[in-house]
Amino acid sequence: MTVASDTNGGEIRQLRPGLWETVNERYPGSMITKSDFVPLATLSVPLNEARVTFVSTAGIQPRGTMPFDTVHPVGDYSFRRVPSSSRPDDLEIHQLKYPTFGAERDLNVIFPIERLRELVSEKVIGELTPDFFSFIGYNMDPERLERTLAEDIADAVCEQRPDLALLSPA
Amino acid sequence: MMGHHFGVPFHRELQRRIILEALSFISSATESGAVLKIPITWAQARNQAKALGLTEEQNR
Repeated sequence: MTVASDTNGGEIRQLRPGLWETVNERYPGSMITKSDFVPLATLSVPLNEARVTFVSTAGIQPRGTMPFDTVHPVGDYSFRRVPSSSRPDDLEIHQLKYPTFGAERDLNVIFPIERLRELVSEKVIGELTPDFFSFIGYNMDPERLERTLAEDIADAVCEQRPDLALLSPA
Repeated sequence: MMGHHFGVPFHRELQRRIILEALSFISSATESGAVLKIPITWAQARNQAKALGLTEEQNR
């Protein structure tokens, strides 16, 4: 691990070397094994011109859509499109695996849809993709997760041609 | 804190800061897999929110 500082005083840690081995050692069978190195994808346009999307495991979905199956023993391998124009009141949370007491009061603590729209208004970022994307993190078959849900979301995200994707666990 | 990756309820400045830190880091990244740890704790965030008196009513 290498450690450095950024200009704002934040601490930068390089965790890639050995990361997956450590996770798989501590949680056997729970993670996809990755021995290959994922190359850095650099931003190809200035941030204030970038089209941004957001992908979350928070189980956020528009009211009235099929709820995630939060009690299935091996998980739910589907995802929901969340229009980036949604108001928080248009959305609901179907996920049992993280504390939602903050998100129930202000969804932006886990799905910062209003903050991202504000950054577009202020021209900090260029625009948002029409949809954001959400699924639940409780999926106990990592091979199936990679083969189905991960591929499905990647296809759906790429269709909306973002320059930059923010990915957030819950 | 789990379930609160963008801060505490109604603390717009903190939520915004966390996003901006990520965007800035992405823009300047030189190495895959690097992690930036922002120097703020959950306790500090909660105390800030209390001191600012952030509530639902003020944000409606």
